[in-house]
Amino acid sequence: MTKSKYIPQKVFVEKRSFDFPLTKRILKNVGSVPSEVIDDSKELLEDIKASKDAIGAGKKYLLITRQRGEFVKPCPCTPGYLGCNYFILNIDLNCPLDCTYCILQHYLTNPLITVHVNLEDLWRQLDIFLQRKKHRAIRIGTGELGDSLALDHITENSMDLISYFRKKRNAIFELKTKTVNIKNILKIEPAPNVIIAWSLNSLRIARVEEKGAPSVEERIDAARRVSERGFRIAFHFDPIIRHPDWEEGYKEVIKKLLSTIDPARIAWISLGSLRFPPSLKGIIEERFPRTKIIYDEFVKGKDGKLRYFKPLRLELYKKIAGFIKDWGREKVPIYFCMESEGVWSEALGWIPKGKENLELYLSSPLGLSVT
Amino acid sequence: MKKKNLPLKEIFLEDERFRISYYFSLEKLILSIQKVGLLNPPLVALRDKHFILVLGWKRVLACIKLSLSSIPVFVLEEEDDLKTFLAVFYENLATREFSLLEKAEILRMLKKFGEEEKSIVKHYLPLLNIPSALSNLESYLAFSQLEPEVKKAIHQKDIPFSSVKLLVGFTHQERKLLLPLLLPAGQNKLKGILEDLKEISRRNDTNPKKILSSKEILDITGSEKLSPLQKTDKVRLILRKKRYPVLSLREESFDSLLKKLRLPKTVKVKPSQFFEEENFTVNFSFENSEELKANLLKLQELSSKKEFSSIFKFK
Repeated sequence: MTKSKYIPQKVFVEKRSFDFPLTKRILKNVGSVPSEVIDDSKELLEDIKASKDAIGAGKKYLLITRQRGEFVKPCPCTPGYLGCNYFILNIDLNCPLDCTYCILQHYLTNPLITVHVNLEDLWRQLDIFLQRKKHRAIRIGTGELGDSLALDHITENSMDLISYFRKKRNAIFELKTKTVNIKNILKIEPAPNVIIAWSLNSLRIARVEEKGAPSVEERIDAARRVSERGFRIAFHFDPIIRHPDWEEGYKEVIKKLLSTIDPARIAWISLGSLRFPPSLKGIIEERFPRTKIIYDEFVKGKDGKLRYFKPLRLELYKKIAGFIKDWGREKVPIYFCMESEGVWSEALGWIPKGKENLELYLSSPLGLSVT
Repeated sequence: MKKKNLPLKEIFLEDERFRISYYFSLEKLILSIQKVGLLNPPLVALRDKHFILVLGWKRVLACIKLSLSSIPVFVLEEEDDLKTFLAVFYENLATREFSLLEKAEILRMLKKFGEEEKSIVKHYLPLLNIPSALSNLESYLAFSQLEPEVKKAIHQKDIPFSSVKLLVGFTHQERKLLLPLLLPAGQNKLKGILEDLKEISRRNDTNPKKILSSKEILDITGSEKLSPLQKTDKVRLILRKKRYPVLSLREESFDSLLKKLRLPKTVKVKPSQFFEEENFTVNFSFENSEELKANLLKLQELSSKKEFSSIFKFK
C-alpha cells in the first residue's frame, strides 16, 4: 500500500456481475491491471484465507460482485450506549488503507476489496427505504464497511450517489474518508444535504497507526477545497487514542483544522475513543506487533467491547471537546459515537433524549424538508 | 498388511517418528488386557531393518508393563513416511478426539514428512477443527516445540489454545520462571498472569524476565512462609496493578471508603463492573424480619451521612 491512489494487483469479476455498467466502468478505469472472470469467489477466498496475512493479502485484489442482500442497513451501533439513528449503505466492502485499529479486520469474513455493481438494485432499495421514512430526517452514509472515497477514482460512485441524494431532501447523505481522493467531488455541483466527512487523528497516530492514509494536513487541505467548492463538511475524531503527549497532539490538529476551515461550514464533529471487541486484539497483535495502542487500560464495557476505563475516556473527551468549542467558537455540533449518557452529561453537559433527539440535533441545522 | 506375532523387544521404541501421544494413563488398558487379552494388534512398519511402532503406543506400553514377551501386530508394507503417518492420522481421526498437543504433533509431522503448508492449512486444519489460516498452523507448530515440562503442564491443566499461545510468546527462561506460578492457578488466573505480564512488558518496552526478577516479585516467589497458591495470587495482584494502575487505584479508593463507612458485615455495596455504569448495588442477606429491619435502618442511617455521598464520586 502507498499513499497514492489504490490500484489493485488484479481484478476478479464474478461471471454474473460482468454485464453491469459499473463493471465496465471499473475495468476501464483500472487500465492495464489484469482481470479474470470467475464463476464465484469461494475458491479465491479460500486461497486468500490460507495465506499468512489474509487481511493484508486480500487488499491486493478487487472483487466485482453483486449485493445479494440489502444495501441499506441500520448502523448496528452497540448495545447499552446511546445511538444516533444512522443508516449505512454497503456498496464497497473493505478498505485499501491498513489502519492498526480497523474493526473491519474482525468484522468482515471476506478480506478482498469488494465492489457491488448492481446499482439498479441499490437505487430501487433506496427509493423504497426513503419513501418509507419520508416523515423523518434520515442520516445515511457509505463509510462504515469501507472508506467512502478510497476507490472513487475506480468506481466514480460518489458522483452517482450525490446526484441521487440531491433530490432526496429528507436525507442527509455522508461520504466518510481518510483519503484525498476528491477529484470527482470537486467536479460535481454541491448539494445542501450531502456532507463530505474526514476521519482525523493526532499527527502521531495518523503517521504510525493509519498505514496508507494521507497525512492529517493533507486531509484538512482536501476538506478545505471541498468546503470552498460549496459542500458542507464534517469530521470524525474516531478513534481517539491515548498516546504520549496526546493532549498536545489533538490540540494541534483541532487548531489547524478550525483555523483552516470556517466552523460554520462544519455540519458536525463526532468523538469516539478507541474501542474494540476482544477478538480484534489478537488480530492487531498478529498484524501490527509493534503497536502499543491496545495495551492501555481497557475494560469490558456494557456491550462486551474493550474501551478505555471511564475516567480516562472522560479526560480525553473533556479536553478534546474543549478544544473544539474554543477554536470552533461554539458553532460546531459535537456528538459522541457509542457513548453512555453519563459520559455525555459529564463531558458535554447535556444528554440527548434518545437517539431520535440526537438525530434531530444533527439534522435540523441542515434545514431538511420532512413531510 | 500382514499379521504376525512379534517379540516385544523387537519393536524399536526409540524411534518415535509416528508418535503423537505422550500423556496417557495405562491403568484401564492394563486391566482390559489382563481380562480379555490384546484384541486390537498394534501397527508396525519396517525401517532400516527395525520394526518401528506406527500405531498403538498405549497398547505396547501396557503390554511391556504386563511383561508380555510377544504380541500380535499388523505389519504395514509402506515405505513412505507420509503415507504411513496418514494411517496413524486417519485411524485416530475416525475413533477419537485429539488433544491440543496431539494436534500440534500431527501438524509438525505432516510438515516434517513433506506435506506442503498450503495443503496442511486447506485440508488438515479443518479436519482437526482448526480454522484454515496459516497463522493457526504456525501457532500449533510453535506449541510442538515447547519444553517437555511445559507440555506436561499443558496436558495436566488442560490449558486452552489462547493461553498456550501466550506461553509460546515467552522465552524458555521466562517460561521456567513462570511455571511454578502457573501450576497452582486456575484457567482464568493463569491466563490473567500471562496476559498482564506480556502486555506490561510490551507497553513499557521491557522484557518479562526483568519484571519477574524484580525485588517485589522475588520476595514473594522466594518466601518460605507462603504456599504456592498464595505466591501465585500475590504475583497476580502485583501484575494487575502494574497493568491497570488507574483502575486499581480507583478500586482501592472505593474499598477504603467502604471501610470508613463501617457497613454491617452482612451488607455489601458494589459499583458496576469497572465503574462503567452510573449505578451501585446493595446486597444483604437476612434470616428474619428483625434482621431485615436492622439492615434497612442501618442503610438509611448511612445514606444520610456525609461520607456516604462520596460514593457517588465513583460514578
